[in-house]
Amino acid sequence: MIRCEHLRYAYPGDAFELVIDDFSVTKGGSVALVGPSGCGKSTFMNLISGLLVPQAGSILVDDVEVSRLALAERQRFRLTRIGLVPQNFELLDYLTVRENILLPFRIGAGLDREAAARCEELADRSGIAGHLGKYPDQLSQGERQRAALCRGLVTAAPLILADEPTGNLDPENQDRIVSLLLDEARRIGATVLMITHDPVLLPRFDRVVDVLALRKGGAA
Amino acid sequence: MNLAGVLYLGRRYLGRNRVKTALLVAAFTLVWLLPAGIALVVGKVEQQLRARALETPLLLGQAGSPLELVFNGLYFTKPAIATLPFGETEVVGADGLATVIPVYARYAAANHRIVGTTLDYFDYRGLPIREGRGLIDLGECVVGSEVAEKNGIAPGDSVISTPETLFDLAGVYPLKMRVVGVLAANGTPDDAAIFVDLKTAWIIEGLGHGHLDAEKLGEEAKLVGSSGNAEGAVRLNASVVQYNEVTEENVDDFHFHGEIADYPVTAAIVIPADAKAQALLKGRYGKAGGLQLISPEAEMDELFATVFSVQDLVLRLLGVIGFATLAIGALVFLLSNRLRRGEFRHLLHLGADPGTLRALIAFEAAFVIVASCLLAAAGLAILQAIAPVLVRQLLG
Repeated sequence: MIRCEHLRYAYPGDAFELVIDDFSVTKGGSVALVGPSGCGKSTFMNLISGLLVPQAGSILVDDVEVSRLALAERQRFRLTRIGLVPQNFELLDYLTVRENILLPFRIGAGLDREAAARCEELADRSGIAGHLGKYPDQLSQGERQRAALCRGLVTAAPLILADEPTGNLDPENQDRIVSLLLDEARRIGATVLMITHDPVLLPRFDRVVDVLALRKGGAA
Repeated sequence: MNLAGVLYLGRRYLGRNRVKTALLVAAFTLVWLLPAGIALVVGKVEQQLRARALETPLLLGQAGSPLELVFNGLYFTKPAIATLPFGETEVVGADGLATVIPVYARYAAANHRIVGTTLDYFDYRGLPIREGRGLIDLGECVVGSEVAEKNGIAPGDSVISTPETLFDLAGVYPLKMRVVGVLAANGTPDDAAIFVDLKTAWIIEGLGHGHLDAEKLGEEAKLVGSSGNAEGAVRLNASVVQYNEVTEENVDDFHFHGEIADYPVTAAIVIPADAKAQALLKGRYGKAGGLQLISPEAEMDELFATVFSVQDLVLRLLGVIGFATLAIGALVFLLSNRLRRGEFRHLLHLGADPGTLRALIAFEAAFVIVASCLLAAAGLAILQAIAPVLVRQLLG
């Protein structure tokens, strides 16, 4: 599903350099990315999603070499093949919860009945069905993160990238979010890559990869 | 992002931030509407004032403000101007140099000016009667179309002149006038006027009045020990009731005291026989100290030279204010977009392409501009529709 080889990325004018020789994840697997702050976890995830383009090496996602795609193709690829779950929810305050969940369809090919039905189904499973008509500022932190998670899952993308989705939540909500994420990914056969700092959550994943160790030459 | 998506997100953003959007639209609307509206209203005022002035070659009045004379004689405003004796109007026309139409526009009824004049006025202005007939007898009136519509007046009804001072017992008494005709609308001040014969206007003034024949009254109605009266004249006391309406039964009891030639008029329209007569008259009255003979067109030229210079200044100021408003609007927009940077970044992360994000921002800006232009256009259309009423109020 994901294969990275001889990957090198450095931010312009910054001493930081991310070098990863070998990293792969099989289809349907779940991987927790760990490591200290600033070690390059988010950079690595952004390279996989095509938001950043490596200076060297290759990234294959579902046999598509993301690093070789043109900007428009990368945007389309991310929209259709990747479900993103950000740390800070990133819900648009002028859209209702329902509209936020369906946002990938609004900015993509357009909304259809199937998408609307999937939105209802996900909201129901995540316990926010009663909040679909509300605006984000009317929800609690946990409810907002569940809404953000539903948005990441609504396209049923084969790859889900979650950047510390439980970072701002209490333990109860952390557990709920991770359970939802992994259960839904398993249900649709999606691969999951999630950044986390919480050791309690690690046993829930198939693999745990320390990005700092990965940069020092380890293969994963 | 597809176009439908851009429109959807743009619409939702504007709708959710409707106060900010409404304020921006309102500010931009004023930027477009104010200069255009001022130009439109001034243009309409000029059009109406000039049209009337062009139709009136010369205007005779008592010496004073020529502009006030124009406004009284042509637009029936400024009722308090100095009057000239009716005899003077006859003098102007006596040697065949001109046709003279006296105008006495001083009193009012139901907030409309009562204009005392002669039948020549209707011929000269080309005022056809839409309903009823023209003036024939004393105490009759013909009303303009607007007067009829506003007050629901038709031939057979009556209007009562408004007393000038309610508590002045020696002042002007109200006169009930029979409406005998309604004029066709012509979009001029004639529409809002009540026309009466000059003599009827003088009755309102108190120069003519009607009461029972003194010879038929009993002794109790007469004052004893009169002084200052002509020999043989009878002085009546307050028990004698004056008529406040001219009817078929009492019309013969109405009479005027003093010389008609001394009776007042506020202005006289002078229509010279030819250019030579016009030059002669101008020369004659240019030297006369007590009267003025003016060209309304020249007065309007002078007035609008001043109005346009003021308008020009106002428009320049509005231009500066408009520029500042647009600049502030642009700043609000830019700051708002800066605050939304996270939102745009996230849309990009989700897969929206940068071009359509620019389209989203452009849509929101275009909405404010287009909406304000449409509102300004609607405002202008409304102004255009109400301009005649507005102009009349401005002149009143």
